[in-house]
Amino acid sequence: MTSNTRLRTAMAGALSLAFALPAAAQSPAPASSPASPPAWAQGRSEAQANSPLAPHAPRLTATPVERIPVDSIRLPEGFRAELWASGMPGARMMARGEDGTVYVGTRTIGRVYAVKEENGSRSTRVLAQRLDNPNGVAVKDGSLYVIAMNRVLRYDNIAQNPNAEPVEMTQAFALPTEAHHGWKFAAFGPDGKLYMNIGVPCNVCTFDENRHALIVRYNPDGSGREVMGHGVRNSVGFDWRPGTNVLYASNNARDWAGNDTPEDTLHRLSRPGEHHGFPYCSGAAWQDPGHTGRKCSEFPAPVALLGPHTAPLGMRFYTGTMFPEAYRGRAFVARHGSWNRDAKIGFDVVTVTLNADGSEGKVEPFLTGLLDSGANSFAGRPTDVMVMPDGSMLVSDEHNGAIYRISYGR
Amino acid sequence: MTGLRALITGLALIAPALLLTTVSLPAQAQDAAVARGAAIVAERNCGACHGERGVSAIPSIPSLAGQQREFVTVQLVLFREGLRDVPAMQKPSEGLTDEQVEDLGAYFASLPHSPPPDRARRNVGAFNNGAALSNRLRCGVCHTPTLVGQNQVPHIAGQREDFLAATLRAYRDGVRHGSDTQMNAAVYGLTDAQLDAIAHYVSQR
Repeated sequence: MTSNTRLRTAMAGALSLAFALPAAAQSPAPASSPASPPAWAQGRSEAQANSPLAPHAPRLTATPVERIPVDSIRLPEGFRAELWASGMPGARMMARGEDGTVYVGTRTIGRVYAVKEENGSRSTRVLAQRLDNPNGVAVKDGSLYVIAMNRVLRYDNIAQNPNAEPVEMTQAFALPTEAHHGWKFAAFGPDGKLYMNIGVPCNVCTFDENRHALIVRYNPDGSGREVMGHGVRNSVGFDWRPGTNVLYASNNARDWAGNDTPEDTLHRLSRPGEHHGFPYCSGAAWQDPGHTGRKCSEFPAPVALLGPHTAPLGMRFYTGTMFPEAYRGRAFVARHGSWNRDAKIGFDVVTVTLNADGSEGKVEPFLTGLLDSGANSFAGRPTDVMVMPDGSMLVSDEHNGAIYRISYGR
Repeated sequence: MTGLRALITGLALIAPALLLTTVSLPAQAQDAAVARGAAIVAERNCGACHGERGVSAIPSIPSLAGQQREFVTVQLVLFREGLRDVPAMQKPSEGLTDEQVEDLGAYFASLPHSPPPDRARRNVGAFNNGAALSNRLRCGVCHTPTLVGQNQVPHIAGQREDFLAATLRAYRDGVRHGSDTQMNAAVYGLTDAQLDAIAHYVSQR
């Protein structure tokens, strides 16, 4: 450890201590009865009205390697975690190019990173910047698609031409302009179409159900928009079950309805265009008291409950063979971790083992150790998972701007 | 001699840390970050607009003294990355390293907060309207009941009224959003008069 290292580590300690104090020192504000609360606070009970819970701050500066908590990560017997890439503040969703380059989207910092592996070592670079929440990245036929807020860019022949100027596809896709939940997860389906989420522009509200809370698909040129699922509040991760081509999507349920309700969920979109419940029904058949126009019995039940406020984001099926037999075909779900819950939950990766017909799943922990329940604090936020050709799995950690590699055996 | 004064301030802050060997290392490290931040402030002449001690006397320029460290850090990254469009901040944020923006956050957070010297007299009607709106919109949840902020949520109490009013309009009109979109949702659909009342109330806190 160099003195500079010690200094930075110590500084981090001092700063985190200093900034824990204002939050702890808060006292409740005088109560009042709101006539019409703003959209983001709708449905919030009086008991929670002055809760200090707020979204966690994004860390937009690089985390030095020695402060990345890879040693805290716990995995089942035989698995190991290593730091695969770092120095990418805000690293979130991942997509892999044909040449093996891994593209990484972000939100607040507006960048898309490219991680290139050559001769056993990796280099990272900023491929695109100054974008508004470029969370969605997907690769098809040599082109990288970057989906930002109301913006779609296509980088053709990205492997041969890493500095390609993007083709502006925004008009063709004509995405809604609302910023709230306007960031996208994007992936190409087995049908060659580009799928993405259209989140709801509020916590919970009455909205156009043909325009928001959707999973949609497009032809790669932006034409042929079709709604694949309605009533999905905000899905920031989905994948197709191997061998079936059935789409499964993680979903973030609403806030301010209690520490334990409603649960976040994993949905099966077996019938295109089906309604999955929001804003009427969420989690474990939880009827929203503010939206009683439709009943839970009208909607397909989620295949798995992923815990209240856990924020399940990136989700992929394990298609490799490196992991033991029992893990093959399971869905791996990165749970970004809660903010709207007194006792923090998530900050991990869980697996979902589906039954034969894919209608129900069993949830088990996989990657843990980043949440300190005793201190109610977290050291990292798993955000996306991606299976590599060798069967290892990459896990992005937005909080540390890092990507871990999970491998088994050897 | 804004730059010189800031530099002297920085040296004055670092001196106790060097002398007191019993002081904890984290405190020393924090002081070192503050001192480095002070040097950057001097070099980039931040005080010319934001005030020598971070209290702005210039309309539409925010005070930064006593601001939340993490808020300053995030905003500087947004300026540097060209994501928050304020032409006057383009040059000053150019080329800052991640460590430098963290140091600047530590520096401004260390300065004592104070309302601007030209703060208007309280208009009781506007203040009460603003207080009622602030209660209804639950500003105190994220900004904390005393409106001093937390982490990435800024200290707004005693901020310049003109700056607050312009910022609230920018959020309402979707011209600006923060590290998330909560503020856009919070002030959605409010009238100019309502935003002015909130700005007056918050500036008087």
